[in-house]
Amino acid sequence: MKLVAAPLASIIAALLLAALPLLTTSNYIIGIGISALIFTVAAAALNLIYGFTGLLSFAQLGFWGIGGYTTALTVVTFGGNFWWGLVWAALINAAIALVVGYPTLRTNRHAFVIVTLTFALLATLIARDWVELTRGPLGIPNLPPPQAFGHRFATTGQFYWIAWAFSVAMLGLLYALCSSRIGRTLIAIKQNEPLVRAQGIAPMPYKLAAFAISAAITGAAGGVYCFHLGIIDPLFLDFYYMQTFLIIVIIGGAGSFWGVIVSGIALSALPEVLRFSADLRMIIYGLILVVAMFVMPSGVAGWLREKKLAEMRDQLRGALR
Amino acid sequence: MNALLEVSGLRKSYAGVHALDGVSFAVAAGSITGLIGPNGSGKSTAIDCISGFQKLDAGKVALAGHDITGRPAHHIARAGLMRTFQTVRVYERLSLRDNLAIANQQFDAATWVDEFFRTRRYRAAVETSEGRARELVELIGLQRYWEAETGILSYGQKKLVALAAALMPSPKIVVLDEPVAGVNPSRIREIETALCELNRAGETFLIVEHNVEFITNLCHQVIVLDQGRKLAEGTSAEIHTDPRVLEAYLGMTPEMAEAEMRGAA
Repeated sequence: MKLVAAPLASIIAALLLAALPLLTTSNYIIGIGISALIFTVAAAALNLIYGFTGLLSFAQLGFWGIGGYTTALTVVTFGGNFWWGLVWAALINAAIALVVGYPTLRTNRHAFVIVTLTFALLATLIARDWVELTRGPLGIPNLPPPQAFGHRFATTGQFYWIAWAFSVAMLGLLYALCSSRIGRTLIAIKQNEPLVRAQGIAPMPYKLAAFAISAAITGAAGGVYCFHLGIIDPLFLDFYYMQTFLIIVIIGGAGSFWGVIVSGIALSALPEVLRFSADLRMIIYGLILVVAMFVMPSGVAGWLREKKLAEMRDQLRGALR
Repeated sequence: MNALLEVSGLRKSYAGVHALDGVSFAVAAGSITGLIGPNGSGKSTAIDCISGFQKLDAGKVALAGHDITGRPAHHIARAGLMRTFQTVRVYERLSLRDNLAIANQQFDAATWVDEFFRTRRYRAAVETSEGRARELVELIGLQRYWEAETGILSYGQKKLVALAAALMPSPKIVVLDEPVAGVNPSRIREIETALCELNRAGETFLIVEHNVEFITNLCHQVIVLDQGRKLAEGTSAEIHTDPRVLEAYLGMTPEMAEAEMRGAA
């Protein structure tokens, strides 16, 4: 049942989301929709490296920023278009991930966290201080709207379709990856790396591939998002983004593909839903997160899984009697 | 003797302590060989060095005539040596079925391209692997848990899962580190029978185990280690009457051992 229901439900959900600009003319709501889609993609990419492979990467923030700047500079400085900008963002980030990952993944998981954190901070410094390239703290304003087949995606509503198509494509790719043998092997590496090696599987290529793919997708997501904002400056590398991706993954349940998708949409909308109380909004948001972590320490997906396991235990006990 | 696994002059020391001090032995193809010795005698270090989980200081390891000394663990596994671990290792959050599928995936011809396009080669590989997994699950008596996450199993049951996983790709040699420690006594008999059957079908085993009865019943050849050196080698009967072994390992005199043997018979 589950096998049929999940793809069907996701197709229906994707089509419903696609209809958002037809249901409202509010740029504010459509803007939230764009953020929700892009943040969900970035969170799903973080889930690949953190949830599946067990490597907590703060470098996602750096990839996000480098992807944004790469796309913006491709258009503004190097005379390319938006689409090539996204391709370059993905390729450059994948290459950086391979270079950073190859030595770092040979160390232990703690060293990996430290190195990726340092990498993110370094990316922020470069965005601010390499003025000739990035134009420094002033940033690059007035990013032109993307064009395709002579059509300009100038309004927020039109840009939404780009964000939607991008998310569907990236999440589809990640789903294919996570539900394959490769995804299963990543989970195995996270759970018991010595056993993986004893079974003839070299963990390194898997970890490197997961890191590079995660970097490429995060970079492209950053590229799409900065054209939604219409400007990129060093604030694009604010830790707020990393925090958002991480909260989405942890609340959704690290290692659960669907858990993270659902929590990505829900948590992107939540702060906006709470706007009825402008003063207490962020406090309520924080409270909800804290309560969620108390009730479901391994995320929504982890909580559902625990329930399923308990049921299975009961069944097995029943069978023994 | 046709040696499948040949180990010569293994040396390994940790911070000045000689865990292995020139150990040599051979495992004949088609045999069940036991490796016993008191705690700290170097059995586990020997296994770790052979399977590539520890770096050797000196010595040579050859599998089926090929030098595998110092190769990484996954190379040695691909060369046909599968091992289990003393502290049981399974993928706790994956089903029994997935545990066994992963154990086999490096050994079939299907690539990720095959999987993406669901080619005939991929479907055949999965079918073969599933068939093998079902046979082994029946062998270890855990059919009911086929779809269950292995985390819910007891310690002894996990040991059995680890055993089945090591057997999945039908390797040249299976190295078992304490396969029945913590396993229900009634199940130990069944494992003995199963290992005997597998052995008759041609599988070679090297077994480290503290359960002397299990080793005695099963092994054609027993190697005794003590303080990083080989103390004795021979058939179970020979080992049981070797005064050095009795003193170092069993802590009894030959007369006591004889009395015990008679009692067991």
